[in-house]
Amino acid sequence: MNVSRNELSAALKKAFEALGFEPGDYYDAADMVVWLQTHGFYGLDRLQAALSYFNTNVPTHAELVREDESTFVLNGKGTSILLCGSEAVNLVTSRAIEGGTVSLDVVNCFNRSFVIQRLLKATRRNVAFIAYWRQHSHAVKVSVSPSADLPIYQLFTKASHLNEQSLRILAGPSIDRIEEDYSWELSLGDSHEEFSSADMRRCYQESIEHGIEIDQDLWCALDSLATQVLVESNDGSRSGAGD
Amino acid sequence: MMTDDGVQIKGLTSASSDMPEHVAMRPASQVMDLNRLGSFHQSRLSFMRTLVRRMVTEDWQISSSLFELDEQGYGTVVFTIKAKFGTFSFVVFSHYLPPESRNDRVIANQWDLTMALCEGNVDAQQLSFLSENVPKQEAGRVDARVMVLSRANRSGRTFDYMVDQLARGEQPDLDVMAQVGYLYRTTAAYGSGKLGMADWEKVWTKHKDFARPFAAEMFTCYMLRHFSMQQVEHIAAHRSPSSSIKLDSNIKRYIGIGNSTGLGMAPFLINHPLLINQWIEMREKALAAVLSAGEMGVSMTLVEALKKLVDRVIQHLTEIYTEDARQDAINQTIIEQLGLLGAWLGKSGTELSKMKNAWTTLVTYAEDQWHVETQEVINTLLMELYPDLVDKFEESMWVDESYEAIPEMPVSRLVRLIEDKYDWALAINFAEEESQGVFWYRSEEKMEPRLGQVHIDLGMDKQMPLAVGRRVRDCYDQLVKYDNDSPGQDVAHFILKNPTYSGIVVRIQTMGQSRYGDIRENLIHKDVLPIQLLRCKLSFFGVSKFDPRSRLWVRNTMFQGAPLISDFGRDDGDNWQFPIKPRLTSSSTL
Repeated sequence: MNVSRNELSAALKKAFEALGFEPGDYYDAADMVVWLQTHGFYGLDRLQAALSYFNTNVPTHAELVREDESTFVLNGKGTSILLCGSEAVNLVTSRAIEGGTVSLDVVNCFNRSFVIQRLLKATRRNVAFIAYWRQHSHAVKVSVSPSADLPIYQLFTKASHLNEQSLRILAGPSIDRIEEDYSWELSLGDSHEEFSSADMRRCYQESIEHGIEIDQDLWCALDSLATQVLVESNDGSRSGAGD
Repeated sequence: MMTDDGVQIKGLTSASSDMPEHVAMRPASQVMDLNRLGSFHQSRLSFMRTLVRRMVTEDWQISSSLFELDEQGYGTVVFTIKAKFGTFSFVVFSHYLPPESRNDRVIANQWDLTMALCEGNVDAQQLSFLSENVPKQEAGRVDARVMVLSRANRSGRTFDYMVDQLARGEQPDLDVMAQVGYLYRTTAAYGSGKLGMADWEKVWTKHKDFARPFAAEMFTCYMLRHFSMQQVEHIAAHRSPSSSIKLDSNIKRYIGIGNSTGLGMAPFLINHPLLINQWIEMREKALAAVLSAGEMGVSMTLVEALKKLVDRVIQHLTEIYTEDARQDAINQTIIEQLGLLGAWLGKSGTELSKMKNAWTTLVTYAEDQWHVETQEVINTLLMELYPDLVDKFEESMWVDESYEAIPEMPVSRLVRLIEDKYDWALAINFAEEESQGVFWYRSEEKMEPRLGQVHIDLGMDKQMPLAVGRRVRDCYDQLVKYDNDSPGQDVAHFILKNPTYSGIVVRIQTMGQSRYGDIRENLIHKDVLPIQLLRCKLSFFGVSKFDPRSRLWVRNTMFQGAPLISDFGRDDGDNWQFPIKPRLTSSSTL
């Protein structure tokens, strides 16, 4: 079935709210899923994985375990980037905006692709980002320039040295400056695949023109979650709506 | 100043010489008070007005490509709309509905009419699909070719009466029409991607004809109005082919569409603060421009035009029928105060025209002496006098609604920002029980928003986060504590330690940069008047004849007085604010 972007966003917000997300967190999480899905990054498939986690775990936020002039380390405590992605990007942005380059690691976290939307949004603060992480046998690298509307998304061959459940975010005034300051760690082997900006735009236009295809079972699951934020109706409550 | 009947309007004298050259926009502390927002009326920037202006000046061509109604008026009609940039279809399904099943509430599941506005032409296959789904409304699914889904119920007071009158060859009694003002009431008009429809972004980017907030939804209601008059004429003609007549054109213009708006609309204003800020900011900019135009005095033509408008509003209010004692009392007050103004304009208009800062003087006097709703009527009327200064803002009623976090902001600065922009929230004493007497929640019945009473109703644990004032207060207290414990930190660190507040922090930071910010009201006070939220939004829609049915819902009339499709292409179609009882055209006079 097809749903609209607005409809999906509303359903996700209610579902995340039902899962215990706070206001703000469920807005951000819904934005992350919708962006990935509408730009061809299989956001709904990734959501399925996240839901299986949140259905059995209380929402947990990341914890700041180390901080110095240009380095942050967050312990994700096994949570999803849907819940700690905003905090991570906010933190690294708050330091990078001063003009230097900064790194931030989120260790022990899942669903790292969702961070792309947060990075894109944060570029409005005139900061550039490079994020990378290990996905199976390859490394994913996402680069976003200040005020960019789309990221550069690349897969690289060299990933064995990367932790399987970590995410590293580098921030600075420009992509070139980040590449220069962190060149030693950004040698990720050969780039063997790239999802182009044109592909992302095409996916997005398709989703706007025809809606977003969603598995009926997943839609029902979101609907079922949403019912948890609803309140039983009776004659008394109807009077609270103007009867 | 003395009015004709000898009443002195104190203070409405020559303007002081130290008035600013350009009149400043009104401050948020004045405008964002919910009592004032709930006193707004239709203006030139209201969405119905801008839509009608566009249709009339661009001469949209509207005709029925399918008109299959039986003699009782049941069946299917498809209208084809050729607008300036695109072609659209408006599809109507008319069904028999037993009177006992007629229900205006959101929770209803049957209606007299169901409708869809679609992009392009509708072929047989799509029509079949629509006929399966549109009548089900929320229980159905449509696709992204559909822009708006709506439904309506016949008026028990006027529909059959109108058919009877026309069938026997008589026009309806104007007093009956004045009391009701419509043949159908619409109870919902869904757009913006609900139920599988086209997202607002698609409408905005692809269909320029409807690329303004709620333009497609308003158009749907306009088409409902058009259909309603065609339908009664159709039924009357079949009932009495020899004696039936068509509706008089002036009566047609006086027929609007009824609307019942309840709590479902209220969360929108709280959940879209940037959009609401934008609407209000444009309205205030227009008003400031108008007031500035009176700096060096105004022409007698404008004074006389204002006098006519004042008289019109008085007649309009006199013709309103409401059982709501509060609204009725307000209407009487406005009538009385506008009466003073009208009399004074008639007698001393010349004096006003020569005043420096004429309009500012008038508005200031109204603010000092008259009811807030009278003040807002006057503001609206002044805006009517200056189309060139006002109408240009109609293209700026939309805004990107994304919130912007400022993670590097020092916590101490955020504290000061709250003290500056949310002083109204900090002034609320939440220790008083009545200040947290109600809560907002969503019912399992169609997710309908409802208001519950604390300690009485179920659902407190699932309340919606609409109490912005309360959330700001809690956040402020936590920020102050954090700033004392960890001085010099920024917002990013605060949120890491206090993730519960991430949403309200970003809202404060975002709205703190806007001119008007959040609506200034404690929405969980036991005596809160949600109807004022509804009225604010409805005024931007452009409705008239507010008839509150409780503090939770309001009846009103849409497009009453507006031009007909047959008026499109003429240049006199934008003078339908505050509709008044018409005179019959000479050919229809009995």
